[in-house]
Amino acid sequence: MTTLQAALSGALVGGMFAVMAAGLSLTWGMLRVINLAHFGLILVGAYLTFELATSWGIDPILTIVLTVPLMFLVGAGLQWAFDRLGVEEFASLLVSFGLLIIVMQTVSNVWSADFQRMDGDVNPYATESVSIGRFVFPAPTLIAFVFAVVIVVAADQVLRRTFAGRALRAFAEDRTVASAFGIDHRRLGMVLAGLSAASAAVAGMLFALGNAVTPSTPFEWIGMVFAVVILGGIGQVGGVLLAGVLVGTLSAVVSATWSPALSPLVLFSAIILALLFRPYGLLTPAARGAR
Amino acid sequence: MMARGLGGFVLAFAALAALAVWREDLGLPIFYLVLASTALFWIAQATSWNVLSGYSGYFSFGQGAFVGVGAYTTAVLGGRHGVDFYLTVPVAAVFSALLALLVGGLAFRLRSFRGEIFALLTLAVPFILAALARVNSEIDGGQGVVVPVAEYPEWLAQFQDFLYLLNLVVAVAAVAAAFAIQHTRFGWALASIRDAEDVAEGLGVATFRYKMLAIAVTGLIGGAAGSLFALQIGFVTVESVFGLTIPLFVIVMSVLGGRAHWLGPVLGAVVIVLIQDRLSASGFEGWNLIVLGAILAVLVVVAPDGLQARLWRRPWQAAVALVAVTGVLAIVDGWGGPLDWFVAGVLAAVAVVLWPGKAPAPAERRPAPSAAVPVPTDVDRGEAAESSGHSGPQLRPNSTIDGEVGEVLVECRDVTRYFGGVRALDGVSLQIRAGELVGLVGPNGSGKTTLVNLLSGALRPTSGSIAVAGRDIVGLAPHRIAHVGVSRTHQIPKPFESMTVRDNVAMAIMFGRSARPLAAAREEAQACLDVVHLRHLADAKPAEINLHERQLLEMARAIATKPKVLLLDEALAGLNPAEIDAAVAVVRRIHATGITIVIVEHLLRVVNQLATRVVVLNQGALLADGDPRTVMNDPDVIRAYLGRHAHARGT
Amino acid sequence: MRTRSLTALSATAALTLFITAACSDDEPAADSGTEPAGTAEPSDEGGAPSGDPIVVGSTLSLTGAFGPTGIIHQIAGEQFVEQLNENGGLLGRPVEWMVLDDESDQAQVTALYERLIGQEGVDLIIGPYATPNIISAMAVAERHGFTMPQHTAVLAPLMTYECQFPAWSIGPEPNAYVPEQVFDALESLPTPPERVAFVINQGGSTDFIAQGSPDDDADPGAVPIAEERGYEVVAEIRYPPDTTDWAPIAAQIRDADPDFVFNSGLAVDPVNLLQAMEQLNYRPPLMFSLFPAPGPLLGLGDVADGLLSVSIFEPNDALIQEAGPEAQAIVDEFESRAAAEGLPYTAFETQATASWNAWEILVAAVEGAGDTDQQAMCDYLHENGADTTFSGHLEFNPDDNNFWPSTQGLKQIQDGDWVMVWPADRAAAQLQPPVG
Repeated sequence: MTTLQAALSGALVGGMFAVMAAGLSLTWGMLRVINLAHFGLILVGAYLTFELATSWGIDPILTIVLTVPLMFLVGAGLQWAFDRLGVEEFASLLVSFGLLIIVMQTVSNVWSADFQRMDGDVNPYATESVSIGRFVFPAPTLIAFVFAVVIVVAADQVLRRTFAGRALRAFAEDRTVASAFGIDHRRLGMVLAGLSAASAAVAGMLFALGNAVTPSTPFEWIGMVFAVVILGGIGQVGGVLLAGVLVGTLSAVVSATWSPALSPLVLFSAIILALLFRPYGLLTPAARGAR
Repeated sequence: MMARGLGGFVLAFAALAALAVWREDLGLPIFYLVLASTALFWIAQATSWNVLSGYSGYFSFGQGAFVGVGAYTTAVLGGRHGVDFYLTVPVAAVFSALLALLVGGLAFRLRSFRGEIFALLTLAVPFILAALARVNSEIDGGQGVVVPVAEYPEWLAQFQDFLYLLNLVVAVAAVAAAFAIQHTRFGWALASIRDAEDVAEGLGVATFRYKMLAIAVTGLIGGAAGSLFALQIGFVTVESVFGLTIPLFVIVMSVLGGRAHWLGPVLGAVVIVLIQDRLSASGFEGWNLIVLGAILAVLVVVAPDGLQARLWRRPWQAAVALVAVTGVLAIVDGWGGPLDWFVAGVLAAVAVVLWPGKAPAPAERRPAPSAAVPVPTDVDRGEAAESSGHSGPQLRPNSTIDGEVGEVLVECRDVTRYFGGVRALDGVSLQIRAGELVGLVGPNGSGKTTLVNLLSGALRPTSGSIAVAGRDIVGLAPHRIAHVGVSRTHQIPKPFESMTVRDNVAMAIMFGRSARPLAAAREEAQACLDVVHLRHLADAKPAEINLHERQLLEMARAIATKPKVLLLDEALAGLNPAEIDAAVAVVRRIHATGITIVIVEHLLRVVNQLATRVVVLNQGALLADGDPRTVMNDPDVIRAYLGRHAHARGT
Repeated sequence: MRTRSLTALSATAALTLFITAACSDDEPAADSGTEPAGTAEPSDEGGAPSGDPIVVGSTLSLTGAFGPTGIIHQIAGEQFVEQLNENGGLLGRPVEWMVLDDESDQAQVTALYERLIGQEGVDLIIGPYATPNIISAMAVAERHGFTMPQHTAVLAPLMTYECQFPAWSIGPEPNAYVPEQVFDALESLPTPPERVAFVINQGGSTDFIAQGSPDDDADPGAVPIAEERGYEVVAEIRYPPDTTDWAPIAAQIRDADPDFVFNSGLAVDPVNLLQAMEQLNYRPPLMFSLFPAPGPLLGLGDVADGLLSVSIFEPNDALIQEAGPEAQAIVDEFESRAAAEGLPYTAFETQATASWNAWEILVAAVEGAGDTDQQAMCDYLHENGADTTFSGHLEFNPDDNNFWPSTQGLKQIQDGDWVMVWPADRAAAQLQPPVG
């Protein structure tokens, strides 16, 4: 019973990691930008949600109405700059690391280095939960999971069904050919980066819903989120959700049946094993990837 | 070169060590040595990272693991079990190297393994180690370990001098090792892995062994320097060593400095440490990290290849800027202290090095006319006509070679290969005899490239056996198969981009069946370049030559391994008719030297012209095999292949 | 081409910015210190300080993992130095505080203390924040023979340098002091709890308080002590410091059905734990948490009501009065400064008090020694101790690594505020019994 409950809440927590990872995975897979600044955008998203909810009294979930468009512009602008300056994959890792520490310090200057957490009166969700039978679904992570499913399904459909989506996938596979077919990759790239940043705004809101934030919080995410991105298969949003749920569930089950102290040990060992057997992501059989 | 370089390191070490020994006589403030110690620590760490990740291109996020194991070994052995500090350093290095070998053994077993996977694997390792240390609190007593101050010789005035000397020893050893690696076969092997790993393996480079060696060196240096880190911070906890700061900063420093060169991490570490120190001393509170982040981003955008490459272009200007700015500030003495002057000088040098301007054009390397228009093609065509004159009239090209067929060289028995549920090859049996020039044709997806991949060892058959020169090659590593005598080219040329055309070929000779030193290999490479008529481009970089020339380079590199059988995988794809003629002549010349050739080709004209025998595959099975004219008239072949593709030029 | 000149331009801009930054080097990062002459009118007592300033150097974790608490020590320190200068400075000279950001990185702490002592030539030093940083700084202080008051390192057995002076003491054996005090308090209740669940952060200090020394059975922590005192330990859960999913831990506690939860935890651990338990519709009857961030707990509302923790001072009226006439002004001034810095929780409580104590120890040492001779300062403190506003007179015994008899008590959240509840003679309110 405890194990099942833990597995359930763990899967929901995995949903939050999936939202954090989705944008990173897409820009990495499609634009070949390893954007560490994505973590900075999530952080800013969390702080904006905190600020808007606390000082303006907006419902924390509704804050994304403001933060999502704002972040879209920031993300698109960053991609414009990356493209304009010709920043390649590895360079993008370093440049965005520079941006990440700039964001962290700026956040610290604006909101202080202390913990910021929405009080119970502005954030009714933190201590709420939904009970079905004997199972309990904690509200913050349940909301995160719903957003994860919506974002992943939407992204997946857009990539499969729309012209822009197919153009992006073509571009990810072969840049020169795609350009030859008249795909305006710059514009598409900016849109994709904008959407990815918008998902960071959502991720930030989701994190703030259940947690206290400090400027150095992003360092707590990097390990787990990268694991989810690579396990899911870079550029594969569906894989990101699957990986998030597996990672969250495994970690929670170990924590409940064995000890929380062992959960990082088991989790990261499992990640290594998964990589050895499925090096191209959980959804891609090794043989297919190799060809 | 090598000896002189290493002599330089000995001199540098002696000079830098003298600073500590006679520090008081020199009037050097002790803080300079403290700062230098920090820089030396990072130099050692960044160099450690660079040997694996910079040289071979396998990005690691796990440097924290090596630092952590080193620091924990020294802290726990010294602080909790009373082991002498000097003994703990080598133990720490060995532990760390063993961990590195374990990681490498796991990771590098996988072939066709992507860099991202390695990055994540290494990212996971410090997390696992941290969890292990926390769970087993008897390791560190649960609270962390206070590191006892080591006994140091009396001729050193202070502990800081001692720490500086220790860091100096490790850092100089690390950089000297990186220098030595770069200038030996080891370094060439790593560079070839970085540029095109599967090609390197196919040319005879034992990539697994070299990657394991590299990661072991990384572990050794990382562990030794980690051991000193413990001594520096004095108190070791899980959080202080297994975090993300160290892995991220070594990457930053190495990439900023330039990761293809031994000096890169040194430059990167020095610049970052100096900037960080000045920033933290500036009272620029709340802005330190903003400025650091901005400088980092700007430097990487301006010089993505790293400072080292830029410095090599303007070494004297940089030196002048450093000396001039430092000197002027010192003479004026109106602001700051010696350290500020020096840092200002370093920044001026960095600015000079990075200032955009005309870099020496790479085109200088190649003869002027060939850079502009594809003149070499005409040259080659002339040559081709001339040489095809040697081998016989154009219309009956095959006759001269027909009679020279010898014993069985390649023997495939019932070879089958599945991809998931798809049968790419299904029970193919085939013999190739010495001296043949076999055309391997078939519609798209018929299994031609799969067969080439099986013969070269890039793939293993699901079932069946393959023997070359009487030796079973199934399961052999591709570099072993290369040494048995199989060599191949790739449909899309994959040259080693960081090396010149000559060195691309020399690589294959160095790592061939009988290993050759670099100088000799470069000599011999000339002959191979002559065969393909690329001698005039020997000093060019692959990026500067056209597709045709890259295809020829592929062939030159392939024959440099002295193969018994050469597999040409669509070596003429994307060439214009004139270039095709030239390439055909080259193939014929290669054949004339006694190398058996299997050519995969869509152009039937070429196959007809070249091949002594044609093998047709269709849907993974052998459809026809025999004399070109007979095969081409076979109704089955016409239906399966010609019917659909004859007019389509095979693309 | 345009891109190139653009990047060149920004490179130059960055370098100029940097050089400007470096220029400000020779006006050291005096945070306050130099202000009073211009702004505040000279105070009546000491007259305006004059002469060369006495420079105090330290680092604080203003960014990174320890940032949330580092900022509190910065605000308290700035306030102290400013007030000191308004009251005539130290030995009649103005005091400057050069505080550098160590980014929560021990390697930086060592390098920066070396810089402060060796390069900037500071006259005095004061410790950084967080135990690992303090131990790293202590090694530097010891090498240079500096006297170092330090705010928050409570792992007494590790603080072996004779001239480090703790400003917050849980006595020489914190691993015994804390649980004994907690259980003493619980046993004063009409119906004391019997079933205890331990939830332990694996970090150094928290692990030590919970388990004691793993090498020495004679040096137990909270868990063995609870067993010895006859409590039934119904759960013992250890979690890593970077735990993100609290639901499984919450469920395990609920299933164990304890009367009392002993959380040897840090920062927002208890917030996350209480929240996760509340999501399961479970509230433990009574809970204790070791070193929590006080603000976010209050933000939980009634969920956190009744929670216990340790404290050396809370700004409760009774305690402020007991501390003496200046205490109210100090507490008020700190609150307004903290609010100006944007801190979410502005109360002058344990952390700020520890900071204040450390500065008072430093001042006492200098005034007692008559100058900034480090050994004389150290000797003076050993012989005479120091008077503090909030913790009274402190005596430093080198045999106990200078850890004075603890004045630490217990605080509890009552009606949305922290109040001191134990020991009875220092309490501002009654200890509230478990709910339900």
